[in-house]
Amino acid sequence: MEKQRENQIEQDELFRFWFAGLKGIGNREKIQLTKEFPQKKTLYYIEETALKKRLKEKWTEGKAETITQIIQEGKRRWSKEIVAEWQKKGIALVTYEQEKYPDRLRNISSPPYALYVMGKLPEKGRRTAAIVGARNCTYYGETYARKIGKILSEAGISVISGMARGIDAAGQRGAIHGSGGTFGILGSGVDICYPKENRGLYEDLKKYGGILSEQQPGSPPLAQYFPARNRLISGLADVVIIIEARERSGSLITADMALEQGKDVYALPGSVDSQLSRGCNRLIKQGAGIILSPEELLEELNICGNFVKNLTETKIILETEQNIVYSCLDLNPKSIGQILAETKLSIPELMRQLVSLEMNGKIKEISKGYYVRGNW
Amino acid sequence: MFSTVLSASLQGMQAEFIHVEADVGNGLPFFHMVGHLASEVKESAERVRTAVKNSGIQIPPRKVVINLSPANVRKRGAAFDLPIAAAVLAANGVISQKTLVNVLIIGELSLDGGVKKVPGILPILLEAKEHGCVRCMIPKENEQEGRSITGMEVIGVSKLTELIEVAKKIEQEGEEIVWKNHKVSGERNIEVEDRCQGSEDFSEIKGQTFVKRAAEIAVAGEHNLLLIGPPGSGKTMVAKRIPTIFPPLSMEECIEISKVYSVAGFLDEKQPLILARPFRAVHHTVTKAALVGGGLHPVPGELSLSHGGCLFLDEAAEFRKDVLEALREPLEEQKIHIVRNGGSYIFPADTIVVAAMNPCPCGQFPDYNRCRCSEQEIRNYLGRISGPLLDRIDLCVDVPKVRYESLIQTDEEETSDIIRARVCAAREIQKKRYEGQKKQTNGRVSVKTLMEHCELDPEGKEKMKRSFETLQLTARSYYKVLRVARTIADLEGSEKIESTHLDEALIYRTMDQKYWR
Repeated sequence: MEKQRENQIEQDELFRFWFAGLKGIGNREKIQLTKEFPQKKTLYYIEETALKKRLKEKWTEGKAETITQIIQEGKRRWSKEIVAEWQKKGIALVTYEQEKYPDRLRNISSPPYALYVMGKLPEKGRRTAAIVGARNCTYYGETYARKIGKILSEAGISVISGMARGIDAAGQRGAIHGSGGTFGILGSGVDICYPKENRGLYEDLKKYGGILSEQQPGSPPLAQYFPARNRLISGLADVVIIIEARERSGSLITADMALEQGKDVYALPGSVDSQLSRGCNRLIKQGAGIILSPEELLEELNICGNFVKNLTETKIILETEQNIVYSCLDLNPKSIGQILAETKLSIPELMRQLVSLEMNGKIKEISKGYYVRGNW
Repeated sequence: MFSTVLSASLQGMQAEFIHVEADVGNGLPFFHMVGHLASEVKESAERVRTAVKNSGIQIPPRKVVINLSPANVRKRGAAFDLPIAAAVLAANGVISQKTLVNVLIIGELSLDGGVKKVPGILPILLEAKEHGCVRCMIPKENEQEGRSITGMEVIGVSKLTELIEVAKKIEQEGEEIVWKNHKVSGERNIEVEDRCQGSEDFSEIKGQTFVKRAAEIAVAGEHNLLLIGPPGSGKTMVAKRIPTIFPPLSMEECIEISKVYSVAGFLDEKQPLILARPFRAVHHTVTKAALVGGGLHPVPGELSLSHGGCLFLDEAAEFRKDVLEALREPLEEQKIHIVRNGGSYIFPADTIVVAAMNPCPCGQFPDYNRCRCSEQEIRNYLGRISGPLLDRIDLCVDVPKVRYESLIQTDEEETSDIIRARVCAAREIQKKRYEGQKKQTNGRVSVKTLMEHCELDPEGKEKMKRSFETLQLTARSYYKVLRVARTIADLEGSEKIESTHLDEALIYRTMDQKYWR
């Protein structure tokens, strides 16, 4: 019985594409219409007068009139070819009435009727976490976003983010090869890579994870789409992790939405001096969970302990001078002059250690003459 | 009567010898000039006639024909006034043609008979000497410039009448005596200055150890240098002091440099020769022609004016892209070819380029609290220095903000003289090593020659292999590291390139992989 229904829905796909693309009907109305017309084919072929009559039972006359108008207009403009083109690109559609529609989204205040998907959907029953933060991030933020993304994904948690510059992309890059996978929620159509420089990540997401969007394929990344996108990120996640955020930033809006949706919010603390950690530190003050280390975050999320043990940083054994240089560095860039002053090594010795540490990947030169600790 | 006078004009840096012929004969009174003349040369007729008249000489109204030969060469400039006047006077019998044989005459006339200075005396006289013409009459203002060439007999004239007097004197007393007298009386002892102009010294820069070291390496091996640092950190200050650690100028180099300045018209009585290494700072709004040379009748640009010294490009990322691109070829060949339909011109351009730029548009990166630039903005900004230009820069160093402690420290910093002594020693080693080669510094020799002298020990080989893989060196940056390492070894007087030299070279490598492309 259930199977039969699913089957019907699948056959109905072309018409669902049509229905999902109707502009001017809100998500709420679309979902209500779905209850009325489980088969979109019926809705497509129904007589105009009959449709109006049925809608009037539900809504006021004016509203019924407008919606009928939109549906009629939509039929006239409809072309099957474009759907074939999208399908060729590998774009699938997930709608509210389908079993595979993410359950988490059913529970938010304004669930989208349809999601366009490239790649996979978040697995049902798998835990999810969103990693979001500033686009213009520091090396510190980027490193931790990547670390946390990696550790979560390896622990089997799906990482949700917006594929934006900075923290979002770093978190997803870290998570891409883990078992949890990672999913990018875009503010543009799924076939549009925005920002362009994340092309590599975009292709990886298609292969190893998934790209989701509420917008029709081909939609440009307009500013007005992004707040709606943010509600999906927090909606799809069980917990929301804010890595770096200035005060009054978009990431804090996502955090607010998460709280409204009843999700847990964690924030990575940062230096009091750092502008980019102000937002996070304030969230912590307001009661957000504090991330003391990626491993402790896992514990808090109740992930089994084995992982934690495996992932604790192995202590790096270095020779004395190397250790002096290494321990002088952290995730804040230091100039070579500063390192020289702090380590009090001779210049040739310092240079020897810097070069060998860099060759071993222990440290990284991020701008000419500025060094930070490398990724683990 | 017919007469002929030897003169010359410049084609770029090359002198073109011109015979000025005059013939005075019967016919309608007429002053006719032929010989493929530019308009400024045609106008010369009026200047010459008036100047001769105002010098108190009556020329009978006869037909005068002037020819400038060879007739196929375009004649340009005002330097033909004086030779034309001399030829006319000789043709009229005012002075004797004999006195003008094998004498090069150059100068511009004013209407009152005064002789004015002209550009390019130095290269013209040098070439004249090569061709065996050792006597010349040039404007008084150019006399010192001409006298700087040993073996040249120079008479400076400030008025047309002086030329006539000299000619008459030669007739009476004999040419040997007159020329010799002039030579002795005017001989000037020129000494090349030991230091660059100005009183700058490296000891005035507090701290910035690494930057000073990079400057030392750059000069020692003739490597081009890129300084990256926030505004106010002292990039310009360092660049200005770089000429103070150059090896002293030799007389040949001095003439070489002065030739360029002579062509550009920058030499005068007070400064007849450029005696110190040039330092040219170029503003970022410079045009391509002003930087590498150009114009309808090409003149040397800033690049050639800094020949033998240092060209400083401040705010390198703000330069127009095509302007920077124009530096590629000359930096490779140390000279610049300019082709116009009048011919092709070559100007020298053997200079150390020092470029300075901010690490990002606001200049504060990687200070995340102050820098508000996005990654994309930073990438775009750095991308303005094109890869091909960066390929010609061997050394790159960060100029950090000066810390208060180093500002107030009272330790004696190394003076330019001390640094220069090391540079000179390193240059000597290179000169010996590359004996017989055209280019004799590590930064300029061909890769093939370089590799012959860059034998690495097993440890060094291993290090280069590893760094090639892990630090993402390209083939080109690999050679750049070796060049710099060779210079560092030379500075220490080490025969072999040691591991520490490689370390230092790696620290100063340009960041083409991380930032650029």
